[in-house]
Amino acid sequence: MTIGRIILVAARDLRAERGQPDGLIAAVTFTAVLILLESLVVGPLTARQPAIAAALFWIAMSFAAILAAARSFDRDLEDDAIDAVLVLPGGRDALFAGKALALAATVAVVAAVGGALSLVLLSLDVSLPLHLALVTLLGVFALPPVIVLDIVLALRLRARAALVPILALPVLVPQLVAASNGTAAALTGDATGALAWSGLLLAFGILYAVLGLALGPAAID
Amino acid sequence: MTTTTISRPAYGIRVRRLLGVASVIALAIATWLALFWSPRDAAMGEVVRILYVHVPNAWLAYLSFVVVFLASVGYLWTKRPLLDAIAVSSAEIGVLFTGLTLVLGSIWARPTWGVWWTWEPRLITTAVMFVMYVGYLLVRSLSTDLERRATRAAVLGIVLVVDVPIVHLSVTWMNALHQLPSVLRPDLSPTLDRSMLTALVVMVAAFTILYAYVMTARVELELARQARALAARQ
Repeated sequence: MTIGRIILVAARDLRAERGQPDGLIAAVTFTAVLILLESLVVGPLTARQPAIAAALFWIAMSFAAILAAARSFDRDLEDDAIDAVLVLPGGRDALFAGKALALAATVAVVAAVGGALSLVLLSLDVSLPLHLALVTLLGVFALPPVIVLDIVLALRLRARAALVPILALPVLVPQLVAASNGTAAALTGDATGALAWSGLLLAFGILYAVLGLALGPAAID
Repeated sequence: MTTTTISRPAYGIRVRRLLGVASVIALAIATWLALFWSPRDAAMGEVVRILYVHVPNAWLAYLSFVVVFLASVGYLWTKRPLLDAIAVSSAEIGVLFTGLTLVLGSIWARPTWGVWWTWEPRLITTAVMFVMYVGYLLVRSLSTDLERRATRAAVLGIVLVVDVPIVHLSVTWMNALHQLPSVLRPDLSPTLDRSMLTALVVMVAAFTILYAYVMTARVELELARQARALAARQ
């Protein structure tokens, strides 16, 4: 597996997303709707609490990432592009890493839009902006390995749309807990907490990236 | 996938019968120790006796999922159908015992904590582990091709085992209502009363023999299913 092939797969995915951005639009719209619904359902005072706002944001991000990843694989299955990638030398190995990288870039855009919407609509005060940026960045990179691996496992299976959240969300629990607590800590000015949760996010991000790189090629159908 | 021939060697049947008899005897002894020999707890009274089924259930859940992991690694390495049969059998047993652990824990929580369920790290991580392995069985049930199903399940069996240490250590890592581990502790010094510990160890051993008995029966059933599916394909 070469870095060149991984970048090739990721760049091809991002070009396809730019040409037909239905996955990105669905993910951003979904996140925006959830943020708006949150303040309506729980009331503005509760919605503005850092712990609640952070948890809702990361749950929205995980669903948005699943939506974007599923659309990316659907697009490849529709035009048989995935088979073309798989027959390339080293294509099977590069597929997991390339897809995860492209998904991280897409999720970063969704996080930027969703984060800005949360800050404006919920009037959230950010005590530690750099810490918040660090937690968000690590969160953005911690979600894709699990989601891409689970989509690969459910590829070409009936009921895939239902299966992927069932498989991915329980595995994402530590990442979601760390990202939510880290974000809340950065919002409230707890630098030690934000860094500690960032460390956990990094650890789980690396763990699942390594597992995905090792097992992903075997799982691809 | 290699063709599997089903044979029931006489020693295999004898071993299973032996395990069946041993598990009945061990469970009978362990039940007597747990109900009549071990003392009542100073704080919880007779309620403590649920410990003797709750902890062995949790132990079997851990053991089952570690066996799923080992069999999954073995399957990806060798592609032997027997290892896939071991993985699915252990996963089913693990899901059953995780479910029982949750139910028994809930029954124990009512008189001690005053609630059937509370949002507490050990309970949540155990419930999450239960859902994860239900997902594992779901993936298997939706795949029709034997080899693809086994490979998918093996990958998932390796990924999901990460949750086992999370469940066990959740009470140490986070502020928890659930008590800290009393037997499998980092310093290897159990905090239980000696007679309670004896009854618990005997019960855990009895449950482990029961697991071995159920596994041998379930693996044989799975191998027969694999052989039928292969025969239908040819």
